[in-house]
Amino acid sequence: MATTACFIIVSRNDIPIYEAEVGSATKREDAAQLHQFILHAALDIVQDLAWTTSAMFLKAIDRFNDLVVSVYVTAGHTRFMLLHDSRNDDGIKSFFQEVHELYIKILLNPLYLPGSRITSSHFDTKVRGLARKYL
Amino acid sequence: MDPASTPLGKLLLDEITPVVMVLSTPLVEEACLKNGLSLVEMLSPFCVFNNIDVPVRTASDQPYRIQKFKLRLFYASDIRHPNLEVAKERLKQVITRAGEKDDLYSEPPQTSNLLSSSESEIQPSWFEFFNKELVRTMSFSDHEAFDHPVACLLVVSSKDEQPINRFVDLFNTNKLPSLLNDGAMDPKILKHYLLVHDYQDSDQEKAAKILTDMRSTFGLHDCQLLCINSSDHEMVERQDNPWAPYKSGDSPSQRLGCFLNVDDYNEIKDLLQDLSSKHIIPYMEQKIRALNQEVSATRKGFRNQIKNLWWRKGKEDVADSPAGPMYTFSSIESQIRVLGDYAFMLRDYELALSNYRLISTDYKLDKAWKRYAGIQEMMGLTFFMLDQSRKEAEYCMENAFNTYLKIGSSGQQNATRCGLWWVEMLKARDQHKDAAVVYFRICDEEPLHSAVMLEQASYCYLLSKPPMLRKFGFHLVLSGDQYKKSDQIKHAIRTYRTAVSVFEGTTWGHIKDHVHFHIGEWYAILGMYELAVKHMLEVLACTHQSKTMQELFLKDFLETVQKTGKTFEVLKLQLPKLNISSLKVAFEDHRTYASPVAASVRECLWRSLEEDMIPSLPTARTNWLELQSKLVSKYRESNVCVVGEAVKVDIEFKNPLQIPISISSVSLLCDLSAISDELNSDALSSTVGPQNDDGSSNLTTNRDMSSENFSFSSSEVDFSLGGGETTLVQLMVTPKVEGILQISGVRWKLSGSVVGLHKFDSNMKKITKGRRKAKPPCDNLKFIVIKSLPKLEGSIHSLPEKAYAGDLRHLMLALRNPSEFTVQNLKMKISHPRFLNIGSHGNLKTEFPSCLEKKMASEQSGVHANSNNLSQTVFLFPKETLIQGEMPLLWPLWLRAAVPGHISLYISVYYEMGDISSVMRYRTLRMHYNLQVLPSLDVSFQVSPCPSRLQEFLVRMDVINRTSSESFHVHQLSAVGHQWEISLLQPVEAIFPSESLMAGQALTCFFRLKSCRKSLTSTDKVSTLSPLLGSDVSLRPEGSNEPLFDISCSPLADFHLCERLHQKMSHQGDPNAVDFILISQPLKDNITPGIADPPHLFSHHACHCSTSSTSPISWLVDGPRTLFHDFSTSLREINLKMVIYNSSEAVASICINTFDSTSTSGHLSEGTADLSTYPSGDQTGWHDASVVNNIKVTSDVHVGAQVGKSLSLESVPPFIWSGASSTRVQLEPMSATEIPLQICVFSPGIYDLSNYVLQWSLLSSDDSGNQEGKSQHSGTCQGYPYYLSVLQSA
Repeated sequence: MATTACFIIVSRNDIPIYEAEVGSATKREDAAQLHQFILHAALDIVQDLAWTTSAMFLKAIDRFNDLVVSVYVTAGHTRFMLLHDSRNDDGIKSFFQEVHELYIKILLNPLYLPGSRITSSHFDTKVRGLARKYL
Repeated sequence: MDPASTPLGKLLLDEITPVVMVLSTPLVEEACLKNGLSLVEMLSPFCVFNNIDVPVRTASDQPYRIQKFKLRLFYASDIRHPNLEVAKERLKQVITRAGEKDDLYSEPPQTSNLLSSSESEIQPSWFEFFNKELVRTMSFSDHEAFDHPVACLLVVSSKDEQPINRFVDLFNTNKLPSLLNDGAMDPKILKHYLLVHDYQDSDQEKAAKILTDMRSTFGLHDCQLLCINSSDHEMVERQDNPWAPYKSGDSPSQRLGCFLNVDDYNEIKDLLQDLSSKHIIPYMEQKIRALNQEVSATRKGFRNQIKNLWWRKGKEDVADSPAGPMYTFSSIESQIRVLGDYAFMLRDYELALSNYRLISTDYKLDKAWKRYAGIQEMMGLTFFMLDQSRKEAEYCMENAFNTYLKIGSSGQQNATRCGLWWVEMLKARDQHKDAAVVYFRICDEEPLHSAVMLEQASYCYLLSKPPMLRKFGFHLVLSGDQYKKSDQIKHAIRTYRTAVSVFEGTTWGHIKDHVHFHIGEWYAILGMYELAVKHMLEVLACTHQSKTMQELFLKDFLETVQKTGKTFEVLKLQLPKLNISSLKVAFEDHRTYASPVAASVRECLWRSLEEDMIPSLPTARTNWLELQSKLVSKYRESNVCVVGEAVKVDIEFKNPLQIPISISSVSLLCDLSAISDELNSDALSSTVGPQNDDGSSNLTTNRDMSSENFSFSSSEVDFSLGGGETTLVQLMVTPKVEGILQISGVRWKLSGSVVGLHKFDSNMKKITKGRRKAKPPCDNLKFIVIKSLPKLEGSIHSLPEKAYAGDLRHLMLALRNPSEFTVQNLKMKISHPRFLNIGSHGNLKTEFPSCLEKKMASEQSGVHANSNNLSQTVFLFPKETLIQGEMPLLWPLWLRAAVPGHISLYISVYYEMGDISSVMRYRTLRMHYNLQVLPSLDVSFQVSPCPSRLQEFLVRMDVINRTSSESFHVHQLSAVGHQWEISLLQPVEAIFPSESLMAGQALTCFFRLKSCRKSLTSTDKVSTLSPLLGSDVSLRPEGSNEPLFDISCSPLADFHLCERLHQKMSHQGDPNAVDFILISQPLKDNITPGIADPPHLFSHHACHCSTSSTSPISWLVDGPRTLFHDFSTSLREINLKMVIYNSSEAVASICINTFDSTSTSGHLSEGTADLSTYPSGDQTGWHDASVVNNIKVTSDVHVGAQVGKSLSLESVPPFIWSGASSTRVQLEPMSATEIPLQICVFSPGIYDLSNYVLQWSLLSSDDSGNQEGKSQHSGTCQGYPYYLSVLQSA
């Protein structure tokens, strides 16, 4: 498992709708905002790259020092962004694919308004479980 | 695009130019310093030639002309590697100075503006300067040749002694730069000799003489005379001083060159032009040719290449030192490099490139990495200047950059320079994104340096197409952090301020918090507290942050606020959060409320309650004064409130943080515009529309504090909120003068230092305007304040919150009128008359419950059931009732907890103003109480007719005590209605062995109920109206002579009426139904001592217990029971009589059919079957009879049917009915008649005379239609068993 990993789902309106620090490293106070900064800035890159390929998994698109940003763009242009320091492309890909499935289940919920924050605790535990499994 | 015109091209043409080393004597400097300039400074402005037009030939004899040219002049002492520390210090000063100039108070730039403006506008201008300085720190390195002096200018003053010797001394080796001394460059360079003559010192003759000497010594062309300071004693004024840009520092530019007149000026210019065009350029050209020939000879061609490779290979085991092997100026590698650089400087890029390429592999093979990197760097630049092969140019730059970095810390600076050139190259090709990445790579450990680079990177992101704003913001923030690390707070703020505009309105919480918090913090460090507070406000409501961060934010914020030393008023302070949807306004216009609970009751409930009490709107309007209708029409939107009466606003505050916060001085923001009286009438009498201007001038708005106190007062609330808590706060404002009150918002104080304001949104009104009719009283925050009115305050004394069912209490309604005006014409209505009943003024003072006790039949006090307190009517207080002053009006009320459950009691009191001129004519006082009723006694009755007696009934009463702890004395049972008489069947002691009913205990007891109604008379009709004269039976033990209660007394009777109404819908029900009232009292022991508990009385009402069985006809066969007769002589005729009673309200036609046993048909003929079945009939007969006797106790068994089943008939009838076999009678309602019957008996025995049938039908009277659904019209009744014993007489 990666020592540092931050997973964020960004809605098509660039609003973060789910955030999780899934790294095994002990949390630092300023880590959260740094991670947000990196991921937020990486959106600029995603914006360019997303339209150049038909694949949903964009691989590692941006880096900051030793942190790498991997992105997965769904058909609805919701972006799954993972900030990580491990090099495990296959694991990350599987992680994204399974999270995508979970996300679709969330979308199927008639009470969930697409683009609003995902507050389901079930989703949270599942995502964290997937992170442990693949990252 | 011409590469030379790009920023990088200009930079290169500026920086990579021939260097001229200047050696001068102190006297020369002295002469120059009179102008405030050193020699180099004096000459520098004239070293740039924009149109020199010198023909040059390349190595391959291609002629071309150089138009632009530049020389760089340096003192010999400056031609060395610059001290790194000094350079850094200088850079820092540059930055600091730039920081000073920043205006931190100005508005931060907006992102949209940034995007629309060009590069030069966005970037701070000092970046360029900084970059140049940074590049200069790298100059005079020994691994590259373009900084090596091309020529040497030796300058001696005419004042110097032995000037010729001075010239020789100047070029003394120990003063020369290390580059020449350690052999990195050729010490044999072009020398030029200059004699400086100061006119102010002496004549030109001496100088001319020296010049001739010089010429003879050093050669004719290499010596020149420069005369300066020719303007004697007068200042030369210049429009644009050519020295100003070259002189750093802040000495006044007027002083510069003040002794240099136009002649001097031109002389200097000519001198330098001459120097460059006639000496330096030809010299370089010549050198290029020479070197090129040598290089061609030794390195070009196949043979030389093989040789070279071979030779290099042999050196492979050379130690890998970072600087690589030392190359002297005479080595071929150095010469190639010099050749390349000279060619570059003379714009012969093809030549330069070929030579760089040549040497590049050599250095690589020699592992001379620094030189290799330098060559790669130059190759990149040459490619750029040639404007070809972009990819290769980039590759070269990257290669150079990486190689510099590879050699460790010594290469770091070079890498920076290389990076800067690379960046410029990328920028020139609009590859801003890549440029930003390079900038990011230039960053090193030194924070200040990184800060500047990061900031430049951020601007690159902004300039890239499409603009990458997020990257821009991120790098600005990174840069700001680095600035902060190097104590450049102003720069840090500057970067963050720009970042704020980028991140404005972002939903990425951590980012927003970080930016705002830090910029706030830094402003606070600079002492700009107001701006600091402004930014810190943004981060206060940071729910997503951890608790420690929240604490930190709040603490810093409060500290900053304290430092400002004043209280801030902040619109939309986010701490605590206001729940606007919880906003609720309670105010009292004509509706007043006795308690806040009453105000929260839905308006429609009150409306329906007050429906027939309040004058309807049209009539009210005509009654109202003109004033009112005008007011209403003018401010249709507004609500009405009264001077001196508080408007209450409920609003919810929520603490979004996990840490507690304290809130104080929460109050409403109000605006009361008073209308002065004389203007008032004026404004109101005219139409509203066109008078808007006048109207506004009529209103004198009192906003300032002094008049605020005068016109209204508002309450203040303090509280503290724990983490995540929500509190509902009630705020009040009390207007003190008439006018228009507008509640505009709420203000509060956070932690005693920051004042938060929240304005209520004005468009809130618009949403609710549509449903104005049913609006809750919170829509509109605008009120017309009208002059003070009396307002009743009401309360009900000693109304319990909890009561057991049946509890009957005496309560007191108190109405007070604190104002001096009278109110009159009071009316009252109660929502549940079943629970709450209005007493009469007479029993105000009476003692409860003794007032209910039966008087000795003397006076039936007039307080019987008031006809007006039947359901849903309005109670009118007596006309003369006025409430005024301190004396409250007391009015008795009776409470009876009718059924278990939660009951909401609504009471509305209507009153009119005594003062007829007031705007509002009436008001209502609304009271609301909740009552919880617990179950106590469950009483049920069962009535069955007594078979043996007409008009008598057996009553079975089941009582269960449902309470958990209470015990009750059952006091009395009353049957309501004067036609009923009730009496005990058993002694009381037998029923209640323990005298009381314990909790959970159930009891059954029996009573005899007798109807004493004789016939239907007119008096009966009357009595149904006041039917509450009844008969009572005391259930207290014999010894106690407690009086019975009078159920016809006011509250009991009233409540009974309500119960009746409630328990059965039709008042005109079955006349034979009977109502019971069970009165009980709680056991005294259970009442907790010490509390003066009011005496309790419980009444349980059971209404409409039907007495009738299936048919309205009842009858009784009467006659002898035992007879003696001598059957030997004759048969016996026995006369019987049948009394038939018609209990219905219609005329009944009754037909009595008797059957003889012969005409048996199934069920009808039971006859004397018992006789035939049992041969010895006597005994069995007796036995049977006794069974029948028992039946009257177990009342409900239908005797006839039981007997009928066990019959088999085969015997001879022992008796026959004589007389008519069928009799028909007509029976008036409620009347009885007697019919004679006769039987003939032939033998002794026991006879059951039940073989008859009564067929009845009701002859419909007028109201037959009503009855139809409820009871039968006709029916058939089986005869009762009637046992007759006929014995043989002796």
